[in-house]
Amino acid sequence: MLKDIIKKEILETITSAKFVFTFLLCAILILLSVFTGISNYRSDQKEYSAALALNKKNLESQTSYATLAQLGTKINKAPQVLGAIASGVDEAVGRVATVNIAYDPNLVDSKYESNPIFSVFGALDLTFIVKIVLSLFAILFTYDAIVGEKERGTLKLTLSNRVPRDRLILGKFIGGFVSLLIPLIIPLVLGMLILLVSPNISMSGEDWIRLLLMFLMFFLYLSVFFSLGLFVSARTNRSSTSFLILLFLWVIFVTVIPKLSVTAAAQLNRIPSVHEITAKKDAFLQQVQGSAQKQVSDWVNQNRPKPGEDPKAFQGKIKKFLEDFQQESTKKIDDNNAALERDYQLRKRSQEGLAVNLSRISPASALMFSTMSLARTGIDEHERFLASIRAYKPIFTQWANARMMRNLDFTGTGQNVKVVLDDMPLHKFEAEALSKSFVRTLPDFGLMIVLILVFFVGAYISFLKADVR
Amino acid sequence: MIETIELTKRYEDGLLAVDHLSFSVQPGEIFCMFGANGAGKTTTINLLLNFLPPSEGMALIEGIDVTKEPLRSKDFVSFVSENVTLYGNFTAFQNLDYFSKLAGKRKLTKIDYAKALTSVGLQEEAFDVRTKNYSKGMRQKLGLAIAVLKDAPNILLDEPTSGLDPKSGQEFLKLLLKMRDEGKSIFMSTHDIFRAKLIADRVGFMRKGQMVMLKTRKELEGEDLTELYIQYMDERES
Repeated sequence: MLKDIIKKEILETITSAKFVFTFLLCAILILLSVFTGISNYRSDQKEYSAALALNKKNLESQTSYATLAQLGTKINKAPQVLGAIASGVDEAVGRVATVNIAYDPNLVDSKYESNPIFSVFGALDLTFIVKIVLSLFAILFTYDAIVGEKERGTLKLTLSNRVPRDRLILGKFIGGFVSLLIPLIIPLVLGMLILLVSPNISMSGEDWIRLLLMFLMFFLYLSVFFSLGLFVSARTNRSSTSFLILLFLWVIFVTVIPKLSVTAAAQLNRIPSVHEITAKKDAFLQQVQGSAQKQVSDWVNQNRPKPGEDPKAFQGKIKKFLEDFQQESTKKIDDNNAALERDYQLRKRSQEGLAVNLSRISPASALMFSTMSLARTGIDEHERFLASIRAYKPIFTQWANARMMRNLDFTGTGQNVKVVLDDMPLHKFEAEALSKSFVRTLPDFGLMIVLILVFFVGAYISFLKADVR
Repeated sequence: MIETIELTKRYEDGLLAVDHLSFSVQPGEIFCMFGANGAGKTTTINLLLNFLPPSEGMALIEGIDVTKEPLRSKDFVSFVSENVTLYGNFTAFQNLDYFSKLAGKRKLTKIDYAKALTSVGLQEEAFDVRTKNYSKGMRQKLGLAIAVLKDAPNILLDEPTSGLDPKSGQEFLKLLLKMRDEGKSIFMSTHDIFRAKLIADRVGFMRKGQMVMLKTRKELEGEDLTELYIQYMDERES
């Protein structure tokens, strides 16, 4: 009997106009988003390769270690292939950081920065389509699942037979959900095939696992709205009321809660602004630079070569002093900046954590967080990347200072020194391992399952007790 | 057999919809229940189908207490509602197939469906048409075909002839008589005194949840059913 109910639900849905409309729209949007994602990834890859080559050329063209240390090296963030599915925060945050001996590095030049219009509407990626469009379809498929049958009278006719209500609602859930998945699965499979055959797109085994986990999250997310639809449909007496309630809940879940939670977290857990931190860093830098001039001139006065002494010995001594002094001063600045940054990042993370936890009540937030983590385009991955750049900064500074001081020119000839980059330490960043990303997404998977169970049990109990007249 | 014993339904707001109602419909009998809107006819059917729990008393189908064994009791009863609205995207065949399977008739073929549809007077051209394009009469016939295929010994009809054109109404009554002759117990709530008069073996009048009059076909001979109906309606008004 369950099979008959499931079959009827599927057949009834796929022969309806709403199914045809949903299928066409889903196919167009999903394929469009995959095409756009792939095309964006390719252009990002090109941009990334060009930026790496340009940086290398710039470094090689430096005429002295001093200019190299001042100008620094540029670190570019490599585009993520799964960003084609979930662009995450990648388009909003910077993609390149300059690491030099002077300033604390920060990621700048985001896509939104170069073209602000994108920030108005956001990216049309697959996650967006599932989050907004398909969740609305899930509501459209279920708002009258029970109340509609009650209104039409088919529920009475069905239950005038030996049909247990629990089996009926289970059949409705399975059949209806399968019907909803058809417009999703077919274009998704096509999208995956496009990913497979696209030139310049290479996905590792791990990437495919990540992609499948993202799809699993999509299914769970849609199940949440599907079971919510059944729940509301089982508790209302008119399909128009059911639709309005569901639409209201959808707006709350998808738009209000995520935005409100960020605002609430900012109010509940205030942190200093980036400008305040920068001002503190600048103040300390000025203080160090001010005292440095005095210390250098004091040292020179004390160690100035006496008449008859070999000036070359003095040059050797002053080189050694300046290298040590420079390393010490830079270390002081770096340590101070690191401490300020550490404190700021801790407070920022605490605020972010609060916002994330508050917003997690909404399945839409859970969907976003999990897919971003799996695609490695989330806030955490961004912060890990930024932290790796900040960790690289003292390494680069130490190398640059050493090279700069060892090659100080006291001859006054202004002769250029050949800059050798062979031993320049390189920035290293290892993308988050799958196991870690998966652990990070576990609360989101758990939340989805809990919501599905709560809404489905709600629908189940409501339907068992429902007045079917 | 369809039977109610002191069947009572009082809603939470205190409204007494059915008040200690006792009657039975024997095999091979058509029982027509009259009453104004809100008299309790449909509530009685809902109680017999266990769509509502009774406040007191019992509703029995083939001697089975529908509250104690709701699923088993449904094997012995068919239901045709006032407005048979089926799955509009399905054809008559598809609707029959689904509801027959729910009724446990899994071995029926398209030939059986065609026979049932023909027996209720539905034209062959309509068999494969989506039922959302059906007229009310066609839907009622299909509803009855579902009951025919279920072949339960008891049939509950809730104002089944309302809105039917004369020809469809006539065909509908013929089919009910045929089913009665096959030994089925038929309980029909209706306002349609003209058609009921033609087929009813017994009639009952309900008012404020109570059966205020019960007459057999024989007792009705020589009486004007229309006047009786109006008389009871007037009493209700007064």
